[in-house]
Amino acid sequence: MSEAHESARSMLQLCDLHKRFGATPIIRGVSLDIREGERHAIIGPNGAGKSTLFNLISGLFSPSSGSIRLAGETIEGLAPFEIHRRGLARSFQVTNIFSRLSVYENIRCSVLWSLGYRYSFRHDVSKLRDANERTDRVLEQIGLAARRDVRAGILTYAEQRALEIGITIAGDARVILLDEPTAGMSRAEAARAVELIRSISSGRTLVIVEHDMGVVFDLADRISVLVYGEIVATDAPARIRENPTVQAAYLGTSLHA
Amino acid sequence: MSSASPGSGSSQRGRLRRWASQQRAWLIAIAILIVLPHVPGLDGNFGRSLLSQMGIAAVFALSYNLLLGQTGLLSFGHAVYFGLGGYAAIHLMRAINGGLAIPMPLVPIAGAGAGLFFGMLFGALTTRRAGVVFALISLGIGELVFAAMRILQGFSGGEEGITANRGLGPHPFGLTLGPQLQVYYVIAFWSILSAALMAAFLRTPVGRMCNAVRDNPERAAFIGYDPVRVRFVAFSVAAMFAGLAGGLHALNYEIVAAEAVGAGRSGAVLLMAYIGGVHHFFGAVLGAITITWLQVSLSDYTTAWQLYLGLFFMAAVLFAPGGLSGLLSMHRPILRTRAFLDVLKTYAIAAVPMLIAAVGAIMLLEMNYRRATQPDAGARIRLFALDLDTSTPWPWLAAILLLAIGALLFRRTRPLVERAWERAGAEARSAGASSEAAG
Repeated sequence: MSEAHESARSMLQLCDLHKRFGATPIIRGVSLDIREGERHAIIGPNGAGKSTLFNLISGLFSPSSGSIRLAGETIEGLAPFEIHRRGLARSFQVTNIFSRLSVYENIRCSVLWSLGYRYSFRHDVSKLRDANERTDRVLEQIGLAARRDVRAGILTYAEQRALEIGITIAGDARVILLDEPTAGMSRAEAARAVELIRSISSGRTLVIVEHDMGVVFDLADRISVLVYGEIVATDAPARIRENPTVQAAYLGTSLHA
Repeated sequence: MSSASPGSGSSQRGRLRRWASQQRAWLIAIAILIVLPHVPGLDGNFGRSLLSQMGIAAVFALSYNLLLGQTGLLSFGHAVYFGLGGYAAIHLMRAINGGLAIPMPLVPIAGAGAGLFFGMLFGALTTRRAGVVFALISLGIGELVFAAMRILQGFSGGEEGITANRGLGPHPFGLTLGPQLQVYYVIAFWSILSAALMAAFLRTPVGRMCNAVRDNPERAAFIGYDPVRVRFVAFSVAAMFAGLAGGLHALNYEIVAAEAVGAGRSGAVLLMAYIGGVHHFFGAVLGAITITWLQVSLSDYTTAWQLYLGLFFMAAVLFAPGGLSGLLSMHRPILRTRAFLDVLKTYAIAAVPMLIAAVGAIMLLEMNYRRATQPDAGARIRLFALDLDTSTPWPWLAAILLLAIGALLFRRTRPLVERAWERAGAEARSAGASSEAAG
């Protein structure tokens, strides 16, 4: 797979990215080049800065220095909604949904901007055929079609995780960031989630932070290893497994999941 | 031709019928509004004036719930837009009195315009933040505008207010606005139109996003929407309808004074929206009707009516956080069960000790209130058609006894209610399961 992407263009480029909180450096010079259509996993021990990296890319934090380019366009320092409008969507490690809206409303709200409805006063959402059809498709895809009228806050944990992914992909973004999508799931649930992620990421660029090495080696075309705010290796899964630096970073944990 | 025309005619009729069935609730509401001022008891000047007040309060409360219930913004200064809308309207009325050829029933539009203008002006400042910061800034702006209205005598007439005459101007279709019935119908027209427009607003993309921003502003930003912009839109729309309600107020009372922008009115609208229930669109209407009725009728019986209003509000916050509409909709799943009648019966049983306790509480309140506020009025007080001498211990003892016995018995009725609810719930679940199996 990775050879196929050698020639593909850059979709997400991080260049010497730094982030400090006060005097504490969390991200210490990350450079990364993720190509169009690639499935890229970021792994690393707890506290390595994986979620912070996602928060920088998606605009929740702005970097202390360095640059982020999305399809060649500079996006660092932009607000989250501006970055989303340029085609990047993310999910959250802790479920982050609209808990009092129905499952259906959660997804429908998430498709509105990308279909160009913006802050419209003129449309009645129940009559927007494109929005409602896409909402139905996404619900079908994430397996929540039967739960469409349920209030999102009372879904089971696994269902909320599926909805979390649904909200992320509903806007048809080119780049999808998933932050530990299988965290807290049982084996069977995680396997279903991997299938879902595989299907939603086809034709898109995927960046995923994940602790479950089975999931990572199953899904990723390339893997980057983040240790204490620095990337120590980026390579194909097979070569990451053999990499001595990576093994040192993961001392005591098995990479052969 | 001849074969096509009846077909298209019937499809047109079909479309009309479909539209009517979709809008059934609204058509019923319109019919009720038309009939109400002719219902015995409401067909006098007092009744029609009460209905007019309720209509004004309903628009104001609905606009407030666009903020609180729909967008999650707790405002302590919503009367600012009501009052400024009222001032714009009363000044327009004075201009009409002076010869400007605009029909009086259109005056509320000026209120809406002023509400929208000031909503956008102050909204740009206040909607940057939600939560406590928003609430505190709204309180500050409320105080600021109230102080300004007391100082700017020339514009506002201060606490005495400024007046106009709604009858002096052009009279289209013979609308003189002399009889209260005409005023009522003008208010009813604007009320139903405002309610329909606010409901329509909530169905638009930006209206749906108000709910999303209420639930989770952070996530809203990650699906492409700027939560500050969504709040700003909601705030401006809410201020516009508050201004329209203020315009109706000006038309109804022919006077607007500084209290129209004051904290008291801002508090009252919060009370209405909350007691009606913020989770249902029409909850605010229910709250507006209830509170207006209490304000008007309670003040006839007791000078301590605000105390009762406060107690009522506290009870709602503690025991019915979903408000009246929440209490009503709670019964929806068991409405068709046979056990629902049992539930109603247990309510009737529980109501008896509750009333006993309430009589005791009211006696205590009234006797205390009289002694505290009118010490010169003597020790005798007339309550529930009884002459009581508050200088003897007997009425006090009786009141305490009634309160205690009522409260104790009321507690005993609780398991009764719960058991009836369980039966009804089980019946509803089994009915739901069998209908699902059949489907």
